Amino acid sequence: MTTTRRSFIRGTGLGLLSFTVAGSAVMLTPRDARARGASFQVLNNEEVELTEAFGEALVPGARESGIAHFIDQQLSVDANDALLMIKYFNVQPPYVDFYRTGLTALNNYSRTVHDKPFTALDDETANALITTISNSIPEGWEGPPAPLFYLMMRSDAVDVVYGTVEGFERLGVPYRPHILPPDL
Amino acid sequence: MNKTTEIVIVGAGAAGSMYAAMLAEAGKSVTVLEGGPPWRPADLYSSQQWARRLKWAEPHAEEPAGVSLWFNFNAGRGYGGAALHHFGVWPRFHEEDFKESSLYGKGIDWPLEYQDLRPYYDRVQADIGIAGDAEAEIWRPDGDPYPLPPVPRFAQGDILKKGFELRGMHTAPVPVAVLTRPYKGRSACLWDGWCEAGCPIGALGNPLVEYIPRAEKAGAVLQPHSQVTRILTDKRGRRATGVEYYDAQGERNELHAEFVVLAAFGIENCRILLNSASDRHPDGLANSSGLVGAYVMSHASANLFGMFDADTQNHMGLNGGQIINQDRFGKVRQDGPFGSRQFIAGLAVKPNDLLGIAMSRADLFGTKLDDFMHRAVRNMTNMVTISEDQPLRSNRIELSRHQDAHGLPLAKIVYKASPDALALWHDGVAEGKKILAAAGAKEIWNSPQGAQHIIGGTIMGDEPAESVTNKYSQTHDIDNLFIGGAGVFPTASAANPTFTLHATSMLSAEYLRDNFDSL
Repeated sequence: MTTTRRSFIRGTGLGLLSFTVAGSAVMLTPRDARARGASFQVLNNEEVELTEAFGEALVPGARESGIAHFIDQQLSVDANDALLMIKYFNVQPPYVDFYRTGLTALNNYSRTVHDKPFTALDDETANALITTISNSIPEGWEGPPAPLFYLMMRSDAVDVVYGTVEGFERLGVPYRPHILPPDL
Repeated sequence: MNKTTEIVIVGAGAAGSMYAAMLAEAGKSVTVLEGGPPWRPADLYSSQQWARRLKWAEPHAEEPAGVSLWFNFNAGRGYGGAALHHFGVWPRFHEEDFKESSLYGKGIDWPLEYQDLRPYYDRVQADIGIAGDAEAEIWRPDGDPYPLPPVPRFAQGDILKKGFELRGMHTAPVPVAVLTRPYKGRSACLWDGWCEAGCPIGALGNPLVEYIPRAEKAGAVLQPHSQVTRILTDKRGRRATGVEYYDAQGERNELHAEFVVLAAFGIENCRILLNSASDRHPDGLANSSGLVGAYVMSHASANLFGMFDADTQNHMGLNGGQIINQDRFGKVRQDGPFGSRQFIAGLAVKPNDLLGIAMSRADLFGTKLDDFMHRAVRNMTNMVTISEDQPLRSNRIELSRHQDAHGLPLAKIVYKASPDALALWHDGVAEGKKILAAAGAKEIWNSPQGAQHIIGGTIMGDEPAESVTNKYSQTHDIDNLFIGGAGVFPTASAANPTFTLHATSMLSAEYLRDNFDSL
């Protein structure tokens, strides 16, 4: 088997994720899915809004990079085929339970402490809340362990913002693939 | 549906594929049952996200809180097993690793010595193609020179090598099962740092490039999506008669065979043996010693990071690193912990994933994380300290009360790194930080304690009362049942286990092949 880098790069195009736009299934990146208004399969509107707000606070650029579409699409596929880092952490699929209860816990905790949902917090208050949940399970938190939820959401945001060809370029580091990956 | 074959092998990872190739090439009918999908090199992408498909989603084990064995991270799913996503770092075990009890009164002696395995190390490295500099590895035991020249160094390798030298420490090119030039029709490495995602060009010596193709060429049948749950025995419980497994449609099947090779993964092997309990074997199969599951070990590890002014080119090279140091491999220290430890330095790193740049500072988020990322992709270095764990009977695999979809109980992991391993870990972190400081790092930090590699659980030995298999990985209790993988190692060393796993598997497969009619 003698294969050159060039021949592998020609073999790209696999791995865009399946989204539904205007009733039709199309293969898109999460960023493009968001831009084209792809519908959500699992998350409801409130969860989408919260995912985007929390993701953006964790990693700037996560909202436009399509973090909510990425997580939503991944929660709709077989867990063994999922690309989420939660797979490493011995969490029992389906993962939607983890994300849904985590998002609910985040908003409930925000309401308990600040009398408003997370999406309504100013940056300073949101950052203080994130610092709290990143290293402890605060009193009143009801959901998956807060530090684990922080870590998983942060990892998903890192994946869509930095873990793509475009993300590498923004960081100024060449991607140098053998085979170009799914355009996450 | 019931079928028959001469040899059924459970698992298409490093050990299983080695057995399959050697036995099929000897003209035996071989069927390999693999629980995961049939990966091929063309299925592999250069993507940290995609690489996660090489691992299981459903928990196969219940792990205690805190540092455990990280089953889902260390194990593999599908053809190639854990070796498909391994980094290809292949140092040999040292002579003293095989006789720690005799030499030091610690650990457990192997039933074989280094010199028994040396010819197999040499043959495996010729098969796979290992790159290194044997003379520069001043700690390396006897062995043939490597068939390939050593890996190149990039900027972070040069920077860290200088740090070691300023501390009076020696380094050598890290020995890797990665091609530095074309070898046996396989392409040489491109040094792009995507090893963890599998190597689509076949430069990294995993099962997809050597032993699985050889096995299939010789007629072995590989059957994916076939989850083995039990080993079947005859009425007297003296011989294995095959395995029970569930296919992709969830249907129960039996595959009858003259020999069974259990090479699923260390913890999975224990799980299947314990689940194969019967009237004749009420505590599980091959478990008359009560030691199936016992002495499970890992390597206590930490990544050590430094931020430099210079461009470190940390995206270049191998995930496995560029240089190795084994100056601290000696087992005994005055007033210090027992066991070996090693450094591997200059590991290529990507922005994301568990061992990626962002995760190295999991405390950062928002604009602070973004600022850090922009600096770290240019100026960070990465090295790892790996410490030997001790075989403790209290560290073990049991069966959980919870079951998977096929009714197979999950493994219950009872594990805490040995006190020696923890002390070595602290020493490694402290010394690593001094090396980074000597190299001129402006900021220095380390990861929490990790668990690399899973070893033990079905250890080999001379005495049936004190071990599960003999030196050929043949179980003491069942003559036609063999165990494949690092589960048979009685000690962990600090050396990465994959090379030794191949050597022990080749020895065992050869024994089975040569004694097929008399066993």
